[in-house]
Amino acid sequence: MGLTADERWDIIDAITQRTVGTGTYRRTLGDALGDLTIQPLTGIPVALGVLYAFWSIFGSFAGSLVTDGFMVKLFDSSWLPWLQAAWPNPDSILYYLFVGDPAADNCFEAFGALTSGLFVAIGVVLPAVLIFYLMMTVLEDSGYLPRLAVLMDTVLHKIGLHGYAIVPAILGLGCNVPAVTATRILETRKQRFIMMSLLAIFIPCGAQLGVMLEVIPETVGLVMLYLIIGFGIFGFVLDRLIPGSNPEILIDVPPYRWPAWENVTRKLWSRTKGFLKEAVPFVLLGVLIVNVLYLTGVIAALADLFAPLFVTWFGVPKETVGPLVAGFLRKDLAVAQLSTIAMTPYQMITSVVLVSIYFPCVATFVVMLREGWRELLAAIAVLIAVVFIYGGLIHAIGILMGVA
Amino acid sequence: MKEQSNNTTTILMVGNPNVGKSALFNRLTGANAVVSNYPGTTVDYTAGTLIEDHRTYEIIDVPGTYSLKPRDAAEMVAVRMLDEHRDATVLVVLDATKIERGLYLALEVFERGIPCIVALNMTDAAHDKQIAVDAAGLQRILGVPVIATTAISGEGVKHLADMIRKAQAADISAIRSRLNGQEQNRRSMAGCGGCSGCGGCR
Repeated sequence: MGLTADERWDIIDAITQRTVGTGTYRRTLGDALGDLTIQPLTGIPVALGVLYAFWSIFGSFAGSLVTDGFMVKLFDSSWLPWLQAAWPNPDSILYYLFVGDPAADNCFEAFGALTSGLFVAIGVVLPAVLIFYLMMTVLEDSGYLPRLAVLMDTVLHKIGLHGYAIVPAILGLGCNVPAVTATRILETRKQRFIMMSLLAIFIPCGAQLGVMLEVIPETVGLVMLYLIIGFGIFGFVLDRLIPGSNPEILIDVPPYRWPAWENVTRKLWSRTKGFLKEAVPFVLLGVLIVNVLYLTGVIAALADLFAPLFVTWFGVPKETVGPLVAGFLRKDLAVAQLSTIAMTPYQMITSVVLVSIYFPCVATFVVMLREGWRELLAAIAVLIAVVFIYGGLIHAIGILMGVA
Repeated sequence: MKEQSNNTTTILMVGNPNVGKSALFNRLTGANAVVSNYPGTTVDYTAGTLIEDHRTYEIIDVPGTYSLKPRDAAEMVAVRMLDEHRDATVLVVLDATKIERGLYLALEVFERGIPCIVALNMTDAAHDKQIAVDAAGLQRILGVPVIATTAISGEGVKHLADMIRKAQAADISAIRSRLNGQEQNRRSMAGCGGCSGCGGCR
């Protein structure tokens, strides 16, 4: 068998001559918008506007409206006192594991599976992922993502990627797990490796963003800035270190379409269901495991072991080792736990950035393994180097600014 | 991933990126594959079941590809699926607004001699763009069933499900001679269960 490409196109020409008729086409509003959002002069301001709107809706809905306005009150003034009173024997191990600190007056500090665990999962993260996925679905279904990809192409080429890498990056802001698989749309192994490493290191997931908004609302912007700068710096370095090519590709930009209501609700439901089924048990389990590690003295031993690195090199208290252990299970949990440790605002920024970059959560780890163990090992090597260098760098910047 | 039990046919959904394969897949199987409006939404395969007229079909939604020469890891999955399911039937999904590049892939699939059926999807968008594709004419030329569908609204999907059993292996040289105007005497299609308007028995 085997026609040549030219023979195929000849057949196709003959077929379409006979079967396809075109009328006069009138440009629609959608086409006009399509052009405006893809040309740099008008497109870049629109892109900034879209991303800003995304961020502020996310923050005001998840952080202020649902969590502060409703969930905090529900959990801190009803659920926590009730559980503290109802659970027998505050000195028992079970009380420590499930309810936590009997003197705590809010669900962040109690740190039991049924207090902090439930509060983080349902009270903070659920509203965050819900609104995040709703907005992401609109971006996906309208056809805006490929246009963003075209706009970002020049910038991303400087760090060894092409514009379409913005798709896994945005998916990663929801959850890193599907984002790792989505790197398959990149063409070369080099591109995939760079994207996968940067994704696992620098892109915080929706759950983590939700908790960050809740516990450090005034410095979350700085944390994001550090992550974006890190994404750029280390992308640039990786591009120069890793052999391979970074070819241009044609991007097929679809027309704008109205998101179909049915599809939006269907996606929202299946993603939220996925979160409830997979993430919530992990958060609860994470709290339990961390509590057991505290009880058995493992975390105290680790804290002493890593104290020189943490205190001198990163400039953060040695107690942050505990949250880093939790961070391997769930990043959102780790950030929640950090918020209960006493430190200066700059130490808080440093340690939240460290939690974000230091290790992908276990679920991300598993999908990365599925994409290839060699890449995973290399990504871990990159990660260790990045944590060490960037953590020290952030500390140094703090010292120079006189805040650390 | 070898052959299923005798009365299950595997159907691979093959087509360019962003032509609505996953939307059609969800319509056919009632599954929950993620559907978006950008090329490259599906990067892995999803399987679902369709039971139509007492037959069971295992339908596999395959990542979109522009040709059978894979360009990235997602397209590689598509080609691998075709290689692994040699006895499968292929449901080629075309975007009615971009039919040429879809036909390129379709010809590549036809050359493998696999039983095929064609869904001419996004007919609503084609209508809006004043593009008229003659599905019956296409069917006559290709010699495989061609069904016009609009996956997002479900139009034509029932008809498509009903026609899957009439999938045929296309014959490139017959397509060529039909295009050259030689209306050869076609053998009546094997296992033809009634008139689908293919012109095979007239």
